[in-house]
Amino acid sequence: MEELLQDAVNLLVTVVEACGAAVIIVGAVWAFLRFVWVGLRHRDSGAFVPVRLTLGRFLALGLEFQLASDVLRTAVAPSFRELGQLAAVAAIRTALNYFLGKEIAEEKRQVAERDEQSTTGSGGSTSAGRQREEA
Amino acid sequence: MTATLGAVLAATSQAIGAGALLAGLVTLAGTRRPALALSVFLDLLVASGLLRLAGSPSWQTIATAASVILLRRLIGFGLRAGGRSWDSPTGRRSDRRGAGRRLANRLVSPAWRR
Repeated sequence: MEELLQDAVNLLVTVVEACGAAVIIVGAVWAFLRFVWVGLRHRDSGAFVPVRLTLGRFLALGLEFQLASDVLRTAVAPSFRELGQLAAVAAIRTALNYFLGKEIAEEKRQVAERDEQSTTGSGGSTSAGRQREEA
Repeated sequence: MTATLGAVLAATSQAIGAGALLAGLVTLAGTRRPALALSVFLDLLVASGLLRLAGSPSWQTIATAASVILLRRLIGFGLRAGGRSWDSPTGRRSDRRGAGRRLANRLVSPAWRR
């Protein structure tokens, strides 16, 4: 019975970890293609921010899956060595998830500020143009 | 099954590491901004490190991934701090230059042309 449970948990851990890895791989490949595209075509530093934001979201989602697999793995962790490694990996993933969340929020704020500035700027020029037309 | 997954992920991780280097170089060539290119390189390198952590990693792998992430935070913090210290004087200087130009225009050009 215990062996059966162990096998089932191991299978589940592998599946969940593979899902997380798939999310990270898709995000990384997409971001690589976009980075190359933006670097070759747009050459504007502002165009890189949405790509980095999306990559951050993909990484955070993949990390959630991997943390879930860590939690599952604690169900069957026979030795202290494995438990230590699991704790280290989980600590790294949790810290990275936290920092990624903060970075995403910061970059979102910057994008919103930039959008607001551009809207105000275009609004200002429109009203100036209207005044000129009226004059 | 876990061993196969580990092998596939190790190969993919190496490929993404190479892609990180390539994307960083393309960004550097395209924008001529080393700070941006470095952040692009480190972003993709973190993805590669995360893939390496999947499966049952050794202590060395864990230490490598942790140092990449720590390095990324450190460099990011350094770049932001450097960016702030570079940005502010330049902005002020351009403001000053703009104000000087406006004053010169006002003094030189006649009132009806303003």
